[in-house]
Amino acid sequence: MEPALSSIAVLDDPLEQQRFTRWSTGRDGQRVAESTLRLSGMYCAACAGIIEQALHGVDGVSQATVSASGQRAAVRWDPQRTRPSLLVEAVRRAGYDAAPDAAAPARELRRAESRRALWRLFVAAFCMMQVMMLATPSYVAGPGELEPDLAQLLNWSSWVLSLPVLLFSATPFFSGLWHSLRTRRIGMDVPVAIGIAVTFIASTGATFDPGGIFGHEVYFDSMTMFVAFLLGARYMELHARQRALQALENALDSLPQQATRLLADGRSEEVSVLRLAVGDRVRVALGQAFPADGSLLDGHTQVDEALLTGESTPVPRQPGETLVAGSTNLGAPVIMRVERVGADTRHEAIVALMREAMSQRPAMARVADRLAGPFLWVVLALAGGAAAAWSVIDPSRAVWVAVSVLIVTCPCALALAVPASLVAAAGGLARRGVLVQRLDALESMARLDHLFIDKTGTLTTQLLQLQQAQVHQDCAALATPQAALAVAASLAAWSRHPLSEALAAAGTAPAPWAWSQVEERPGQGLVGRDAQGMAWRLGARDWACQGLSAPAAAASASAAQVWLCAEDGSCASFSFDETLREGAAEAVTALRAMGYRLSLLSGDRPARAQRLARQLGFDAAIGGATPQGKLAELAAAQARGERVAMVGDGVNDAPVLARADVSLAMGQGALVARAQADAVLVGNRPMDVVQTLRVARRTMGIVRQNLVWALLYNLTCVPLALLGLMAPWAAGLGMAASSVVVILNALRAAR
Amino acid sequence: MAVSSKSAAPMYTDDAVRWFALATVLWGVVGMLVGVIIAAQLAWPQLNLGIPWLSYGRLRPLHTNAVIFAFGGCALFATSYHVVQRTCQTPLFAPWLAKFTFWGWQLVIVAAAISLPLGMTQGKEYAELEWPIDLLIAVVWVSYAVVFFGTIGIRKVRHIYVANWFFGAFILAVALLHIVNSAAIPVSLTKSYSAYAGVQDAMVQWWYGHNAVGFFLTAGFLGMMYYYIPKQAERPVYSYRLSIVHFWALIFTYMWAGPHHLHYTALPDWAQSIGMIFSLVLLAPSWGGMINGIMTLSGAWHKLRDDPILKFLIVALSFYGMSTFEGPMMSIKTVNALSHYTDWTVGHVHSGALGWVGLISMGSMYYLIPKLFGRKDMYSVRAIELHFWIATIGIVLYIAAMWIAGVMQGLMWRAINPDGTLVYTFVESVKATYPFYVIRLLGGVLYLGGMLIMAWNTVMTIRAGKVAVAPVPPVAAAHA
Amino acid sequence: MDILYLLIPLSTALVLLILGVFAWALHRGQFEDLEREGERILQDEPALVDADQSRAVQRTEQSPTV
Repeated sequence: MEPALSSIAVLDDPLEQQRFTRWSTGRDGQRVAESTLRLSGMYCAACAGIIEQALHGVDGVSQATVSASGQRAAVRWDPQRTRPSLLVEAVRRAGYDAAPDAAAPARELRRAESRRALWRLFVAAFCMMQVMMLATPSYVAGPGELEPDLAQLLNWSSWVLSLPVLLFSATPFFSGLWHSLRTRRIGMDVPVAIGIAVTFIASTGATFDPGGIFGHEVYFDSMTMFVAFLLGARYMELHARQRALQALENALDSLPQQATRLLADGRSEEVSVLRLAVGDRVRVALGQAFPADGSLLDGHTQVDEALLTGESTPVPRQPGETLVAGSTNLGAPVIMRVERVGADTRHEAIVALMREAMSQRPAMARVADRLAGPFLWVVLALAGGAAAAWSVIDPSRAVWVAVSVLIVTCPCALALAVPASLVAAAGGLARRGVLVQRLDALESMARLDHLFIDKTGTLTTQLLQLQQAQVHQDCAALATPQAALAVAASLAAWSRHPLSEALAAAGTAPAPWAWSQVEERPGQGLVGRDAQGMAWRLGARDWACQGLSAPAAAASASAAQVWLCAEDGSCASFSFDETLREGAAEAVTALRAMGYRLSLLSGDRPARAQRLARQLGFDAAIGGATPQGKLAELAAAQARGERVAMVGDGVNDAPVLARADVSLAMGQGALVARAQADAVLVGNRPMDVVQTLRVARRTMGIVRQNLVWALLYNLTCVPLALLGLMAPWAAGLGMAASSVVVILNALRAAR
Repeated sequence: MAVSSKSAAPMYTDDAVRWFALATVLWGVVGMLVGVIIAAQLAWPQLNLGIPWLSYGRLRPLHTNAVIFAFGGCALFATSYHVVQRTCQTPLFAPWLAKFTFWGWQLVIVAAAISLPLGMTQGKEYAELEWPIDLLIAVVWVSYAVVFFGTIGIRKVRHIYVANWFFGAFILAVALLHIVNSAAIPVSLTKSYSAYAGVQDAMVQWWYGHNAVGFFLTAGFLGMMYYYIPKQAERPVYSYRLSIVHFWALIFTYMWAGPHHLHYTALPDWAQSIGMIFSLVLLAPSWGGMINGIMTLSGAWHKLRDDPILKFLIVALSFYGMSTFEGPMMSIKTVNALSHYTDWTVGHVHSGALGWVGLISMGSMYYLIPKLFGRKDMYSVRAIELHFWIATIGIVLYIAAMWIAGVMQGLMWRAINPDGTLVYTFVESVKATYPFYVIRLLGGVLYLGGMLIMAWNTVMTIRAGKVAVAPVPPVAAAHA
Repeated sequence: MDILYLLIPLSTALVLLILGVFAWALHRGQFEDLEREGERILQDEPALVDADQSRAVQRTEQSPTV
C-alpha cells in the first residue's frame, strides 16, 4: 500500500508532534523541544556526521545527535525559531531522508530495561570473578598451610563482594519470589531465590561464626556464579525479545497519515488524518488509502478491500456507496464524505474485536513453571529430612548437610534449560527469516492439533497477477497471445493503475509500439492510437468492446479481466488472479504429513475458497467469512478441546490471530496482525510455517533432554549429599558443570 | 582550507607534547647506551674500571629506570597528552601544569642519573630511587592526573575514546602502586628503609613490580596502540566493542598475577599457586587486544609493505603477543623451576621491552614528531625502514641469545650426580654463558644503533620543519 | 603473610571502585553507538597553522626516498 502524500508540513501539527516530540523547560525558562527522527539513506559511518552538521545548520537547533547504529537523530530545538518540517528538509537537502520516530518512548523504555539488565549482569560477573580469586587459596592450599586469620580475611572479603550480587543483581529473583508468594503460584523464581538466600545465609554464618551451626565452609563463589549464569541467560532472552520488537517498530516509520480536505471555498488543505471530522469532504488520490469510513461523493472508482475482507477482486464503487477506511483507491481520484473517523471506523472495530479475543485466549502454562512447584517441595522435604536425621547422628553437621542438599539440587537445569533453548531456537529461526515475538509460543507450537490458514495474502500473493492471455478475434498484430500481451503491455505502460502495472510487468514487446493520443478514462481504461492511427481500447470489457461483437463474458473464476480491443474488431482478453505463493503447495502437504488438521479460512467467495482447498488438500474450507465468523470457527475448535494455530496476514485476521493458541503472521501483512502475532514470517514463505513448527518440536525435545539430565544429576548427587559424602567444592562444581552442560545442549536448538 | 586567524579557532596545546616527544628520543639513546655498557660489563667485567659510579651494580638500575621511566615515561606523557586532546577535541586542561610535569619529570630523571651511580638506592627493583625523588614523582604524577582527567572533564565529545581508558587506568594504577610500594622511613636525605620487611616486602614489591609491568608497560602503551595504529593505517580499530571488553577484562585480572615472581621462595605455596593461575588467565585478555590491533589491518595488509611506521606498530604487537604467551608459560611452577634466576627471565623482559614497548614507542614517535613540526613525514622515510630492520635483528639476536643461555643455565644448575652432588659449579655456568653475553651485546648495539638513526632523523626533521599548531576542529556541542 | 591484610582489603576496595566507574560509564551512555566512535578519530583534521604567522602550513614536504 502506498504511503500518503509526501508533504511534510503535517509534521508541524501539534497533534502529530506528540508522537515523536518531548517538551521540557530549558535553563532560562524557555520551552525546549526534543524530537526523535528516523533516518534513511545512511550507508556509511561518515553519514552520521554529515547529518549532524546539516541539522546544526538549522537556526534554532541547540543540539543534534545521530546514532549511526540506530539510524536515529535526537534533536533539541527552540519552538520559537524552528519547526520539525524544517529539520526534515535540512536532512533531505543533505541527501538523506527523515521521518518522525513514533516508537521513541517505547524504545527508551526498552533501552532502560536493557541497560539495567546489563548492569546487573556485569556486577554479578565481575564480583563472581573476584570472589573466585579470593576463594582459590582455600582450594589450592594444603591442610594447615593457610593461617586461620588469613582464611578469615579472605572470607570477609568474599562476603563484602557478594553483597552487591545479593542485594542488587539478584533482585529480580527475589521480587519474583515475593510475587509468587502473593499470588500463591510457584514459578521458577522460587527455588532459585531460596537457593541463593540459603547459600548466602549459611556462608555468612560460616564467615562470622566459624564454630557455629553453619560450619566453616563458605560458598560465595558458587552463589555468585549461579546468579551470574542465570542473569546471563535472562539477558540473552531479553535481547532476543527486544530485537523482535525493534524489527516490528521499523514498520512505524512512515510519515503520518494525511488527507486532502476540501474547504468550502474550493481550496484544499493537507491535514493529519487525526483532524478529520464527520461531514468533511476529502479528496482521495489514485493509489491512496481511504482515511476514514464514508461514502463516495463524486467519481467512479474501484476499491481493493482485500486486507480487510479477504476479497481479492477490486470492487467497483459508485457515488453514494460506502467506502471503508484502510482500503485502497484503485480506479480514479474521487471525493468522499467522511462519516466515521478514528475508533468508529470498521478498521478500528476489528481491532477492538481482536483485543477482546486476546483476553479470552486460553492460557498454556509453561512447562518450567509447572515443574517448579513439585521440585521445590521435594527439595525442601529432603533438606528438612536430612537436617532432622543428622541432628541425631552428628548435630554439628546437620545444618550444613541440609544446605549442601539445597545447593547441589540446582534448579539451574530448569531455570536455564528452558529459556536458553527457547532463545537459541528463536535466534536460529530469526536467521532464517522467522521472527519469534513470544518465546513461550515455541512451547505451544510443539503441541498443536489444528491449523487455520488464511487464503488471500497468506497462501496466495496479495497482488493480482496475469494468469492467461487469450485472443478472441485475431489480426496481424494479435496473431498470438504473446503478441497480444506485448501490445497490451506497451499501452498499459502509460497507466499507474495496479492492473496496468501487472500487465506491463508481464509482457515485453520486442519493439514497443508507438502510441499517440493516449487517454486514461477513470473506471474504464486506456484508449490510444497506434502508429497506423487505429484506435485501441484497453480496459473493462463493457467499455473496451463497445460496439464490437465480442464473445460473451464467461462466468470466469478469475478475479479480474482486462480486454484489449481495436476498432477493427480484433480483441484479446487477459485474466488476472491471485497466485499461490512459492512453496504453498509443498507446505500444505508437509503440514498434513506432520499430522495436523488443516482448515482454510477466507473472506473471499466460498466457491473460490473451496476450489483452492480441494486443490491443495485441506480438510475443510470456510469461505465468505467475516472476522466474527472466522472467530466463531476457531472458538468452536477450541471448545472441542483442540489446540489451534492461525496463520494470517490481514486486519480481518487480527481477532482470530489473537484468540488462537498460536498465531503466525505474514511479514507483508497488516501491522495490527503482525503486532501481536507469536511469530512473523518475514520472508512471506509458507514453507517457513513448516520450518517453525519443526524447530518448535525439536526445541521442546531438547528441553526434555535437559530435564532428563537434570533428573539424573539430582538423583545421583542428592543421595551423596544426604549421606554427607559430597565435599563442598564438589557441590559447587557440580552445580556449575550441570549449568554448563545444560546450556551447551540448549544451544543445539539454534541449528 | 585556510584558517583566517589564530583567534578564530582554539588551538591544541602541544608544547608539552613536543618537548616530551623529543625527550623520548634523547632518553632512549641514553638509556640504551647505558644498557649496552652494562651488557659489555657482563661479558668483560674489566669494564667496571674499578670506578664505583661506573660499576655494574649501580649502572643496572640506571639503565632500567632510564628505559622504563625516562624513555617509556616520556613517550607515554607525549602520546597521552596528544591523544587526549585529539579525542576530546579540546586543548589541555591547565597547559601550564602540563609543562610543569615536563620539567618535573626531567628533574626526576636527572636526579636518578645522579643518585643511582652514587649508590643511593632503596634496593627495590624498578623502585630504586630514594625518598626525596619518590616524593617528587608523586607530585608530578598527581599533576599529570589533574591535567589528564581535567582534559577529559572538559571534553567536547561525549564518548571517551578507548585509548583514554587505558591511559586513565595506567595513571591511577601507577599512582596507587607507587604510593604503597615506596612507603619508607627516611633516616637521612639520601637513605631510607622500606616500611615493609622480609617476605612481606617481597610480596609488596612484586605486587608493585608486576602491576608496574601490567599498567605502566602494558595498559599505557595499549592506549598508544589503540590510537596510532588506526591513524597510521587509516582504518578504525578492528572491533571497537572488543577493545572495550579487552580493557575491562585486563584490569580485573592483572592485580593478582604478582606472586609468579616469587615461586619457590619463602612465599607460601598457595600464594604462588594463585599467581600461577591468574597469570594463565591473563593470557586471554592480552591476546584479545593483540588480535584486535593486528586485525585492524585486515583488508589493508599491503600497506605493511610500503609503510615502515606500520611495520613498527604491527611488529610491536606481535612481540606483545609473544611475551604475553611466554610470561604465563614461565609462571607455571614447573617451568619456573627451570627459568627462575636465569637469563631466560632477562630474555623475556627484553622481548617485551625492546619488542613491544620500544617498537610501539618508536612507531608512535615517528608518526607524531613530523606533525609537531608541520610536516607530513619524517625527514627520511628510508631511515625509518633501516631503523626497523636493524632494531628487529637486534631484538632477535638478544632474545635468542638469552633463551639459549637461560635454559642452559637452568639445566646446568639443576644437574645432579648420582650421589646427590651438583655436577657443575656456578662459575662453570658463568663461563658457558660468556658467548651468549657477547651475542646479546651485539643485539643491544644494533638496537642502540637504530635509536641513533632515529635521533639523527629527528634532528633533521626539526631543522627542515617549523613549529606548527593545530586548530581544534569546530564540533557541534555534544556534551557529556 | 601479614601483608595480605593490606593487599586484600585494598583489592576489595578497588573492586568496588571499579564497579562504580563502570556504572558511571554505562549510565552516561559510554557504550552506545560503538562502531561510530571507533571511526570518529579518523575524521578529517583541519589544516595545521604556522605558529608564527597564522598561515596555513603546506603539508607537502616529501622525504627524498622511495
